[in-house]
Parts: sequence; structure tokens; C-alpha cells
Amino acid sequence: MSITLTLKEEPSVPLEAEVLSASRLADLSYDEICGLKLYHGKRQVRIDDFFDVDGERSDQVEIHGDLHRVRLLGRDMDHGHLTIHGSVGMHLGAHMTGGRIDVHGNASDWIGAEMKNGFIHVHGNGGGQIGGGYRGSLRGMKNGTIIVDGTAGLEVGLRMRRGTIVVGGVVKDFCGLQMKGGTIVLLSGAEIRTGAWMNRGTIISLKPLQLMPTFQLSCYYNPTFLNVYARYLKELGIILPWRAENGSWARYYGDCSVPGKGEILVWHPHVA
Amino acid sequence: MQKSKFLPRGRKDRTMVLVDIRETKSAKAADIFLQVKPGKDFELLTILRAMIKDQPVNQAMVAETGVSLQALQDLVNRMKSCKFGCMFFGMGLSMTRGKHMNSAALLTLAAEMNAYTKFVAMPMRGHGNVTGADVVMRSQTGYPFGITFNRGYPRYNPGEFSTVDVLVRGDTDAAFIIGADPGATMPQPAINHLACIPTIVLDPHVTHTSKLARVHITTAPAGIAAPGTAYRMDEIPMPLKPALKSPYPTDEEVVRRIREAIEKKPFWMPDDSEQMTLAQV
Amino acid sequence: MLRITGGKVYDPANGINGKIRDLFIQDGRFVPAGAGGRTIDATGMIIFPGGVDVHTHVAGGAINFARAMMPEDHRRAQAFIRSKSRRSGLGGMAPTTFATGYLYAGLGFTTVNEAAVPVLSARHTHEELSDIPIVDKCSLVLMANNEIMLDLLEAGEYERAKNVMAWYLWAAKSYGVKAVNPGGVAAWKWGKDAKQLSDSIEGYSKLTPGNIVTALARMCDELKLPHPLHLHCNNLGAPGNISTTLDTLQHLEGHRAHIAHSQYHAYGGDDWDTMQSSTTELADYFNTHRNLTTDAGAILFGDTVTITADGPWQHLLYKLTGRKWGNLDIENETGCGIVPYTYRPSNLVNAVQWAAGLELLLLIEDPWQVFLSTDHPNGGCFWRYPEIIELLMCADHRKECLKQLPDNIKGRVKLPEIDREYTLYDVATAMSAGPARALGLKTKGNLGAGCDADVVIYEEDDSVIRMFSHPRYVIKAGEVVIEDGDIRETPEGREFLIKPGYDPSTEEFIQPLFEDCYTMSFDNYPVELERIKRPDIQQCGAAE
Repeated sequence: MSITLTLKEEPSVPLEAEVLSASRLADLSYDEICGLKLYHGKRQVRIDDFFDVDGERSDQVEIHGDLHRVRLLGRDMDHGHLTIHGSVGMHLGAHMTGGRIDVHGNASDWIGAEMKNGFIHVHGNGGGQIGGGYRGSLRGMKNGTIIVDGTAGLEVGLRMRRGTIVVGGVVKDFCGLQMKGGTIVLLSGAEIRTGAWMNRGTIISLKPLQLMPTFQLSCYYNPTFLNVYARYLKELGIILPWRAENGSWARYYGDCSVPGKGEILVWHPHVA
Repeated sequence: MQKSKFLPRGRKDRTMVLVDIRETKSAKAADIFLQVKPGKDFELLTILRAMIKDQPVNQAMVAETGVSLQALQDLVNRMKSCKFGCMFFGMGLSMTRGKHMNSAALLTLAAEMNAYTKFVAMPMRGHGNVTGADVVMRSQTGYPFGITFNRGYPRYNPGEFSTVDVLVRGDTDAAFIIGADPGATMPQPAINHLACIPTIVLDPHVTHTSKLARVHITTAPAGIAAPGTAYRMDEIPMPLKPALKSPYPTDEEVVRRIREAIEKKPFWMPDDSEQMTLAQV
Repeated sequence: MLRITGGKVYDPANGINGKIRDLFIQDGRFVPAGAGGRTIDATGMIIFPGGVDVHTHVAGGAINFARAMMPEDHRRAQAFIRSKSRRSGLGGMAPTTFATGYLYAGLGFTTVNEAAVPVLSARHTHEELSDIPIVDKCSLVLMANNEIMLDLLEAGEYERAKNVMAWYLWAAKSYGVKAVNPGGVAAWKWGKDAKQLSDSIEGYSKLTPGNIVTALARMCDELKLPHPLHLHCNNLGAPGNISTTLDTLQHLEGHRAHIAHSQYHAYGGDDWDTMQSSTTELADYFNTHRNLTTDAGAILFGDTVTITADGPWQHLLYKLTGRKWGNLDIENETGCGIVPYTYRPSNLVNAVQWAAGLELLLLIEDPWQVFLSTDHPNGGCFWRYPEIIELLMCADHRKECLKQLPDNIKGRVKLPEIDREYTLYDVATAMSAGPARALGLKTKGNLGAGCDADVVIYEEDDSVIRMFSHPRYVIKAGEVVIEDGDIRETPEGREFLIKPGYDPSTEEFIQPLFEDCYTMSFDNYPVELERIKRPDIQQCGAAE
């Protein structure tokens, strides 16, 4: 049994829907779900003003429709599975502590912002500040996993403390800005200023990167931890090269301007 | 330039360094001109942060900034040995690639310089009373800009609630523009959106925005015919003493009258916000 | 007419200690008797005069800068919702203006003293004070690093300096004089500090902090200001600074003075590792010098933000903690530093500070000399004052809290040996009657006829924190502003100002000095009286 919501009315201004999380709906009856409040601009509306509702009392929730104007989906979620068939707005899974979110579409900025745990998979493109800390916050995500299959925007992993972010497409500037820990895997590399002002943490890129002048090359090597890590990522459908016969990793440390002890690993395949 | 008690020779006791992507008129007035390549400010400032701490930098990448390592080392020496350093910066940093991070880089450098000598930095704000708007927003809401009140209390998120982003995405269904001209300065999608929604403009002039607005109300120009307070960029308030009279109402008067008319309508907040406070979203 | 009947009244200004008395209020003041109007049945309830916060930082450029620095604190703060009668706002460490009024009123505080105002930005401070609803206000203007003043003192021109100070007080539309780290903030313009009273001040050849302290205290007395010199001593926060504080007190001999947040100035030891509380020495001095007052500046564990005019101290805090740092230099006048900070019970230095604040409140015997404060927000937020009241009233609770502290706290603090518990009468003195008297606000902190009808009514509760956090009624100038936890009315408060006398030639004298070193036109410098909402000009020189 699951709960299914289908968007029936396009919001004319952003719809704030933090109540739409698997854990929030898990124990509610059909009527209770229909009566939950959303914010359409400044007005409080009912869920059934904007969605057709089917099902009740389940932590398996599916939402259908073009939700690019719907924000805060999955916010604070702590268990259950939220699946969205369509694109979503900002703050997907922000402050999550558990459970799983899948988006079959694109997402916007602040995916998994300040999350403490949980799993988010965006099968399309993402926006900026993935797993990041909101403006002024000293820390971004504390743990959890975020996978974005497509491209992503600025400041991916902004001030993240721990956890894993994997992005399939190219990311924009400032990936890993002021990172404090955790791991970012870039399958298609990034634009500029990757790792700027890093304190700690690991950025792994399969494509060459334009680094800051305040990073220094340590060495070329094949660290053991990577083959363990690669095995973990394989379960999530992500292939990381690690075999020494295929290539090695250039390791850079920085950002020396802080001074930080972050590391950036860039894959160097052997020329056949 | 002003002579002072501690700098009796005035200009001769000061060293001015100008950093810009092209040689402007100010370069002639400077003692040292450093021509930085466009888009390299963030790198340059980060390099300086490393150099003041005697941390290693990638020499080839230093060269890419357009400023030589030698010139940077000389700058670092001068900065560390001065008695009082001050950095001023403007839209060349805050509006180019990197945006707020360019500003952050300069401010962080200034903060870190205090380990060696007295150092400060100040942003040069835009025209009009930008600083005043910032100051009042902050004291009343806690935030300088990019604020939404849709839940009945202030929330802040630049990029989500800042004007240009709201307009570009078409997130709003009405606009009230006071003393600003987004129709002249904003990206085309923002201008197009302003043209489709009910837009109201208050301005002494008929502006680009007025021409695509639903309503334009001419108001008395602040400081010339309307009193009030303007804030310098160092946040010091200056009284505005109007010299002339205007046949038009002040912005304040118009806003008050609109508000009075709105207050006659049913109050829009739902009843369960009799509750005084709550935990935020 | 508003009548409050059957309550247990604590009115230290009139020696009333828990007697069941009726109160009568007419036109915003207490009257001896009366009939009709509304009656509040306060049977079983406790009645105090409205709280008076003698030292807080709630309005002005410094607080506004702090607001800019901490959006993350705003996000987790208590949100005040817009309603027909109420403005929206945010609480937290640097509350917004409307919220500040609601929060203070919610606690039963009805008068607030903004403790640090630079003359140059006083206009802005008054804008913020005007916005703060309900409470009455006064403010203190910063003088001890004002370079025109310091130049005059260095040149031996005491009388001129006194007249100039009087001119400044009226120009800033303030209520009294604040001195912060005398000489030290002027030295900070050079990146330096002035820690001892005999130190030289960078930029000056003869003048010492000690000279400034004595001169300013003497001026405040000679001008007969209602509140004496309000002094944040040199060498704040440093281990061993008790000697600087005692030296400062020596320099104040023969004058009235109010020592700000004395907790931060009462440390022994030589360095962070040997730091200990030396509050006994300070308390002994207060106990033998009855013309001095102080506010505790107690700390509470948890997050807060430090905001002071003590630029060099704040830079040091930034270097020690690596937290965010904001620094403002006010041309020719003063400075400001802001660093968010977290006091932790596991941190030995913080543990000593926590004990020291409470020790001063308990060891200074006369509750008319030591007042409740955290130097908001430096030691903790004002809306946590009930936690301090609980610590003062319940020795057992203190002992429980002491157990949370590191073991090596033993021998560094006196608190474990102190059994004294504050009575309700003591609390009413420390949070209302005492600060009102020290400020020279004769109609405040007093439930006697003719005084301002500011009253807070608590329901008796075994939990001290609950009792003081949730007054049943708060009455301001005879209007019920809080009832059952709801804000009922949001009247505007008054602002107390003073207009001390000065030689008419003073303005002519200052103008060229001003024009020589300021970047503003002299005409724009004084704050126009029209900008003050409901100004209430108090007299200087009234008989004690």
C-alpha cells in the first residue's frame, strides 16, 4: 500500500510543501492528509486544493506532476520512501535525518541542505548548494548520501561536514567550497574553483580539474581506500576506476590559503 | 588629500594601490597599479591569503592572474609593514563571476591581516540609499535583503527570495517598485515578467519600469523635496533636509495611504495565528 | 483606574516585603486609593515592580552589524508572527527591534538601558529604540576613547573637556556616560590596546587610562548626572585582571561609579591554565564602598554572541576561537567588535566565568549594589535571566550544576562554599528597584504613589524558572500589556534624556576641532530632538 498524490492545479507562485514527506504522512488517514496545510504564497491552502490524493497510512509516498514550483518536499523526513515523478523545486530533503527520496526529473537548489542522514537520488539535473549549509551556517550536511545523475550548479557540498555526494554531469564553480569533511565524487568534472578554501574532506574527479593556485600536488598513487570505496559506490550504480593497471590518481592537498588539509584526487588513465 | 595629525604630509604619507582589469583614470592617482586579468580576482585574493601566512602557492597559476609573484610579494610586504591598511571594493568584485565569494575573499584577507597590523575593509555601496534600506531591513527583520514575509515572519534566502531571481523565475504575481528601476537594469526575463503582472511604481521620474507598469505614481524626490534619513556606506545616518517643495506626495505618504486602504479589507492571516510565536520552517 | 488586589507585594524601594497589599493605578501612575475601572484579582500571586535592565545591548549600529553576521541564528530563533496589532520579528541572540520589546515585556521588564552608543551613529540608535515597543528606554554615550576628549585631557584642559562632554550628552540625546576600555579602543586604531591604568596610549604622549577614568568620573559627578560614570574596565577577560579592576576602583575613590559586567573583571591566575575567580577581593571592595554599584555580567552556558566596543578584546577572541569576527571603527570616537561564542561547561575558563558571575551576586551583601545582568548578549541572552534567578534562589540547584563542571574547578572558585539564597525581596531589588535607583530613574522600580505604574505579576510556582519566564500579567504605565502569555497592547515607550548645563561657548569651541578630523558636516552631527519618540528630559543635579 502506498500514498499517491497527483498535482491537479499548477501553482501560480511557489507552493511550500514541507508536509509532503514520507514520515509526515506515514500515520495519517486520508482525510488528515487532504487537510494538511501548504503555503501558496502567503495563503494557507489544503493539500487537496492542489493534489488528488489516494491512499493513507503509509510511509511509501509517490507524487506525480510538474512540481518545479513546489518547494521543501521531503524536508525533515526521518523514514520511509518518497518518490517523485516529475521535477521538483528548492530544498528537496533539506534537514532530512533518514529515509529515501527519488526524483525522476530535475531538482533545484539546496538538495539535502543541512541533512543529518538519509538518501537522495535525483535522476535528472540538480541545482546549486547540494548538501550545503544555508547562508551563515557554519556547516552543511552532517551525513547521508546524495546522488545527482545529471549536472549540478554552484557550491556543491558547501561547508559539508560528512557524507557523500556524487554528481554524474559537470558541476559549476566552487564545488566543495569550505568543505569540512565528507566526500564528493565528480564523474564529469567541474568548472572552476573546485575545492576553494577546503578545510578537510575528499573530492574525487574522473575528469581533469582547474584547481586553485593554493593547492599543491602531493603525488600520483592508487590509495587502498578507493577500492573499498569503489565497491560501495558500485552498489549504488556508480563505477569508479581504481585498478592500477588502468591509471592512477593525482593527489592535491589544500587549500593552503586557509590553511586546510583537504585532498583532491584526479584520475589519470594510462595511455594505452 | 587631507593632512591629519598622524599623517602630516597628507598624500605623501599614504600609499595607494589600485587593482583593476584595465587602466582607469584612478591608476594615475595610484602609487602602484596592478592589472589583474578579468575573472581572476578570487584567485588573486586567495593567493594573498596564502602568501601572508607564508604558505605555498602554485607559481604558474600566480602568473595566470596577470600579476607577477614579485609584485604580489612586494604588496604583501607593504601590507604587513603599514600602520593602518584599508581596502575598498565595489561591483567589480561583487558583480563578476564569484560574486559574494569575491567580496568574502577580500574581507577574509582584511580580517587575517589583523594578525600583523591594523587592517580594515569597506564595500562601496551602490547609488541611492542602498545602505539605508539594508540597515532598516536588518534592524526590523534581522536580514539585509532577499526576505519573504509569506509565513508572517521574516525568512531569508538569497537566490530564492532576492528580487532578480524572483522576477526571472516568475515567482510573483504582483510587484511594487519604489525608488528603483529594474526595467532598466535587470535581465530580460525579469523585465518581461514585470510587464505581465500588475506592477506599481513610485518614483519622481517616469522610468523604464514605469513604462511597463500598470500604475505609476510620481512622488517627491527624497533629499530634495522629501525629508528623511540616508545612510553613508559606513552605515552612519545623515539627515536629509529638503530645500524645495514638491507638488507630489512623498513615498512615505503614498505607502501609508495604500496601507490604510488595505487595512480596511479583511485581515488575511488565518485565525490560528493568534499564536504569538512559533518555531520556524 | 486599574486595581490590583490581594497580591503579595515586593516593593524594596518602600520596604514592603511580601505583604498583601492592593495597588491602585490612575493615568499611568500609582495612586494611594481609588475605585471603579478594572480589577485584577491577584490573590496568591506575587507582585514586583517592572524589571529594569541596567546594562544591555539591544539597539544601534553594533547590534545591527551582529544581526547581519548571524542569519543562522535568526533561522533557529523564536519567530514573532504578524498580527493586526503586532509586528513580526525574530528573537535569538540579536533580536530584531519589535521582537526585543515583546521579549522584554514578556519577561516583565519595562525599562531598558542601551549601554553603548557612539555619538556619530546615535541617530541610528534612536531609530532602533523608537521601534522597540512597550518598554521605556535610556542610553549611554561612549566617551572614553573620544579623541577630542582625549586631546583635551592630555592638554590638561579638564574644564573644557567637561563642557564638551556635556555638549556631547545633549547632542547624542543620551542619558549618561559610558566608558569602555579607556584609551584601549583609541589604541586599537593602531592595532594596539591599553591594558593597565598606567599604560601609555598609542597616539598620545602623557595620557593614561587612569587619567581618563578619574576625569570622567569627576565630570559625571560635577555635572550631577542622574547616573554615575558607567565603566567597562581595562583588561577585560584576562586572567589576573582583578588587579587592574582594583586599580581602577582606586582611581575612582571619592566618586560615584557603576562597574559594568564585573564578572569579566574579577579573575586571578596568570594565564588561561591558572585562571581562577577572584570575586572575593572584588566583593570585599564593594562591601566596604557603598557608593559603588555594579551589574554582574553573569554567563550562561550555551550559544551567544559577544558585542562590545572593546575592539582589541574582540580581535583576541577571534584569534582564540576562529569564529566569525566583525570589526567596526567609529571615526574619532570608539570601536566595536563582534564574535559569536559558545560557553561550555567542559571548558575550564567558561566554568570559572559561570561561577564568578554568581559569586558576585551572592558575595556582594547589599542587593542595592549588584544587579542582575548578563551584559546581553555577551554572557547570555536576556530572555534567559530566569535561569540566573533560579541559580540565585536555589543553592541545591547550584550544587547540581557545579557537578557538571570539570573536576579541576576545585580551588579556583568560591561558589561551592556559598549557601546564600536570594529571597524574592532580593530578586526584586536586583532586577528592578536597585537598577532603577542606580540609574537615577526615580519613578521606576518603585510601587509607591506617584511612580510609574510598571508592574509584573507572577503566579507562585515551585519552579523559579517557570515563574519568572511566564508572568501572568505585565502592566506598563497602567496598561495591561501582557496577560496570560499574550501581548494585549503595544504602547510606545518613552526615552529618557538628560540636558546637562554647559558653557554656551562650547559649541563654537568644538566646531573647528570637529571639522578638522570628522568626515561629516558639523550641522549634521547632533541628533534632532524631533527624532526621539516621546522624549522625557530628566533633571541633572536633583538632590540625592
